[in-house]
Amino acid sequence: MATQTQETQDVQAHGDGHGHHERLQHHFLSLDQQFGSAKLGMWLFLVTELLLFSGMFVAFAVYLQWYPEAFAVGAEALDWRMGLANTIVLLASSLTVALSIHFIQKGNTKAMITSLSATLGLAVVFLVIKYFEYTDKFANGIFPGEAFNPTGSYAFLDVPNAVQYFSIYYVMTGIHAVHVIVGMGLFAWLIYRALRNHFSPEWYTPVELGGLYWHFVDLIWIFLFPLLYLI
Amino acid sequence: MAQGHHIIPKKTLFSVFATLIGLTILTVITAKGIDFGVLEIPVALAIASTKAVLVLVFFMALKYDSRVNALTITVGVVFVGIFIIFTMLDTVFRGDLDNVSSITISQQEREEEALRAREPDAEQLRVAPGDFMDGDDDAPDDES
Repeated sequence: MATQTQETQDVQAHGDGHGHHERLQHHFLSLDQQFGSAKLGMWLFLVTELLLFSGMFVAFAVYLQWYPEAFAVGAEALDWRMGLANTIVLLASSLTVALSIHFIQKGNTKAMITSLSATLGLAVVFLVIKYFEYTDKFANGIFPGEAFNPTGSYAFLDVPNAVQYFSIYYVMTGIHAVHVIVGMGLFAWLIYRALRNHFSPEWYTPVELGGLYWHFVDLIWIFLFPLLYLI
Repeated sequence: MAQGHHIIPKKTLFSVFATLIGLTILTVITAKGIDFGVLEIPVALAIASTKAVLVLVFFMALKYDSRVNALTITVGVVFVGIFIIFTMLDTVFRGDLDNVSSITISQQEREEEALRAREPDAEQLRVAPGDFMDGDDDAPDDES
């Protein structure tokens, strides 16, 4: 069988260490097949992520339909300008990730490192804006759950079920922010590896998969922004 | 080898980004500037979905990728749809299904009006079957 022969050759070639690409693992026929498998695995992981977030979106939909007045009041309390700024920041970071893959495909490691660093920087900007939003709410007693006690400029939130809106708001944006922090770790790791010249146009799987993850984090925010801030 | 990978031109990436920013501004204008009434949420979701498709197709490169990846995420989205629709089929119609009061709906509405008239200040007054004091109701009357 051709498959058998190819594998045998790969295993034998390994003897002198130069028979195949150093990143090709033995249970794959080619780098292309290896890349395709890794990507399919990543997409499957993203589907589980989608289902994780969908539970929260369903909770949001149910409570929005039950308590439309309370949710309208809650959405008013959020600063849509901050949400808009964060949307633009995340879209820009998605662009820089896509560019970093474009650059490594062309063999330009330096431009890829610049692009990945820009993404990491934009992720920090996103969290800083989120920090200001959260602390402003906390200072006025806007907490999730039973600690909810609106005061000061947020006193108008003292209506039935507004607490439900903010519990969902904190859980959804909080879990999203955790994903942003994980993404920052990923980009720091990718930059570290890129600095050590681990990636090439033939093999850049971690950059591709990290990019898919980051675009997914952006996708979730694309829905969170209009649903939480605008409606 | 990996030479077969499609390299997305910079021009495409930048025009997708510009479109995404444009749609973001559009969603703010439609939500804050124009009153769509009941269509507010569908309009916002339609714009968000368009943005999501752009990200999936170009940034996540599904357009140039093996179809199995597009199939995987599509199946995921279909199941999210089932999740939302079947949950809402329950929660949206709950009040209708567990309405087991012995009196007619129009009579219930009249009683609701009467309760509102009695307590005009109460906001978001919701009437449960136990609130009706129609004598032969089997619910325990704990207001006396």
